Amino acid sequence: MERFSGHTKMLTRACRLAVAVAAASVVGALPVSAADQVNQERLLNVDKEPGNWLHHHQNYSAHRFSTLKEINRDNVKNLKVAWTMHLGGIEGGGIWSHGGLEGTPIAENGFLYVTDGWGSVYKIDAHGGRGVLVWKMDPKTDRDWAGAVACCGVDNRGVALWGDLVISHTLDGRLIATNKETGQVAWQRTVADPDKGEVITGAPLIVKNMAITGVAGAEYGIRGWLAATDLTTQKEVWRTHTIPGKGEPGSETWKDSNNAAAAGGGSTWVTGTYDPATDTIIWGIGNPGPDWDNAYRPGDNLYTDSSLALDATTGKIKWHYQHTPNDPYDYDSVAENVLVDVPGPSGPRKLALEADRNGFAYAIDRTNGKFVWGLPFVKKVTWTKGLDPESGKPIEYDPNKAVQTYIASVTPSRTNMETDICPGNMGGKNWPPTAYNPDLKLWYIPVIESCNRIKVEVMTPDKLKPREFWTGGGPSQPFRITGSVTAIDVTTGKIATKMETPFPNLGGMLATPDLVFTGQPSGEVHALDAKSLQKLWEFNTGGGVNAPPMTFTVDGKQYIAILVGLGGAWDKWFIDSTPELKKIQPGSMLYVFAL
Amino acid sequence: MMIVNRFPAAGVLLASVVTLNFSMPGPAYGQSAQAPASDPTNAGKAVFSRANCAGCHKWHGNGGGGYGGDALSLRKTELTRDQIIEAVGCGRPGTGMPFFMRGAYDEVKCHGMNRQDAGAQMPPEGGTFLRPKDIEAVADYVIAHIKGAGEPTYAECVAFFSNTSRVCDVYKTQAQKPGDATVSTGKGQ
Repeated sequence: MERFSGHTKMLTRACRLAVAVAAASVVGALPVSAADQVNQERLLNVDKEPGNWLHHHQNYSAHRFSTLKEINRDNVKNLKVAWTMHLGGIEGGGIWSHGGLEGTPIAENGFLYVTDGWGSVYKIDAHGGRGVLVWKMDPKTDRDWAGAVACCGVDNRGVALWGDLVISHTLDGRLIATNKETGQVAWQRTVADPDKGEVITGAPLIVKNMAITGVAGAEYGIRGWLAATDLTTQKEVWRTHTIPGKGEPGSETWKDSNNAAAAGGGSTWVTGTYDPATDTIIWGIGNPGPDWDNAYRPGDNLYTDSSLALDATTGKIKWHYQHTPNDPYDYDSVAENVLVDVPGPSGPRKLALEADRNGFAYAIDRTNGKFVWGLPFVKKVTWTKGLDPESGKPIEYDPNKAVQTYIASVTPSRTNMETDICPGNMGGKNWPPTAYNPDLKLWYIPVIESCNRIKVEVMTPDKLKPREFWTGGGPSQPFRITGSVTAIDVTTGKIATKMETPFPNLGGMLATPDLVFTGQPSGEVHALDAKSLQKLWEFNTGGGVNAPPMTFTVDGKQYIAILVGLGGAWDKWFIDSTPELKKIQPGSMLYVFAL
Repeated sequence: MMIVNRFPAAGVLLASVVTLNFSMPGPAYGQSAQAPASDPTNAGKAVFSRANCAGCHKWHGNGGGGYGGDALSLRKTELTRDQIIEAVGCGRPGTGMPFFMRGAYDEVKCHGMNRQDAGAQMPPEGGTFLRPKDIEAVADYVIAHIKGAGEPTYAECVAFFSNTSRVCDVYKTQAQKPGDATVSTGKGQ
């Protein structure tokens, strides 16, 4: 009987699947209209469905702002755990002893889609005030292959939705489309190659039936790129390298005779933004390699450390703005560019905001890539006296110099082989995302208030080997590192408020009309007043918060969700700066809060 | 740090916990690596994996710069077996090389120092403690398979990881790459 009924069940399931496949192909031929099919119209108009969270960064502009206000400053003190769910993916692999959680959950019609560090995708039914796992898709990531060249942890920052598919990445370089209902892999495509030191940690950005993929690996001698995959044909539409090829515009900014550009870094591992008005993708570009031996790669090293604007349809570069030319510090500009419109002297100003690893927050005119304003958002900057008010370049930047020294006494170089820099190389802000409240015009930056010590190694071409570090030195952590949430008034370009925290902010931000949510790697999730940043609520998760909070509704009720599990780069490379965090255990858990 | 201070009092208990650990599956990584059964340094290779030596020195032992600072190359090392045993047991003061001997700098002085003497030079504590036999085994493995070796090879890599991962493909020589379709077809037939 047992066997028989099992057999019947299998047959039934097979029939059902066949019907589902047939139905799917019919639906595929028709215009997408069902409420749970994600299309461009919905992605462009997420404000019409405030209970859902459809984009990695909440909207195409990366505001991470929700209009939901059932949870507000008057009642947030009553916020409690509604339910939790243990996830997996903390196994080690490569050079990593464990994975962690850095993802932002996606919410649609009461279902959550989250990932763990190894790229497993979990669909969770959040109806009825509890979480039920609907399915888990385990991509069977090749852990040793990918983990050995993941500079900064076993990380995956989440999924995107398109049609009836869940689109995700794996550390070992794949783009995977999973059927949203069944959890079965519909198709997958190799986009990045760990044999070249390329891995993928970011969530895909979906634009007009394309998945845009960014790559990590600037510490392993990659030449960075962004790639667009057509989600119908599964073919590559375009791939734009972030470092120009020989003879292309910008190639003149690589003046060496080592062919440094071919392994010049410029990774793209944080999900970018999209401006539909001009069909422009804006994406942050990472550091040049080798990180700390900038004499190996004289020249400005475009488009490393830049915000890069690309035509979404063709991938052609429209404009760039570089923050730290010929970077000797590992000051990535990989952060998200937040697209905001604010009143200006001659009509509305269309800005792209970026909080850079170099400690400065920038506003760029996103129609042409011109500098508007910039200011330090960290307490301590030692590598430059400040930004030129016209160009926004560091004051010491000399376009006639092939190797920049900035403030030479603190700058790592071949004549200054061991030196302390502030911010530290992990930056004033790393990948954890900012949030922007469009009503208050406040931009909230998750800050790492840091200094660290850099030791330079002089690089030679023979040291460049596949799958080996290509950093030209390394950091150590002789100084205590703390953090803050720093709010910038975007209308003035000045700091409005700073709320200091004992530990660096490794998770990122969520803004609601009168609140800001964030967390600490020591375990606390915080709700702050949106204006004063005064702490209104706190819950200790007992793990390390290394991911941003988000919010959604189900059954008409508002929830706050956050993944908890300290991983990433911090607990391997930077832990000495925060010794108390050594006791934080690896973990993998989804927390969901409600009133 | 707190945990370490508890050790002297809980020594016996810990010893049994540690023994138990040995029979449990360690980190997934490297566990499937199978060198020939006759290789007397298999035990040392297992320790190399379990203690996550590869986390800094890499599977091939060449270490190198990067975010973690500069782990020394075990391929180029001139340390003797005894010196390797000391480095693993006591760590290297003032560097990131952890100590793996239970009670080091507490019950047993290292480099003539206890924890107080070492002060800021105190090396970090390894993620797992190793018994003296394990430390000898890993030193034997390093001497036999890593010290003095040249550039890492495909055969060496497969011996370490087995061939279930693509981690070794990058070390294939031209002749070993899948381009040689005739060779594999020939074998298949």
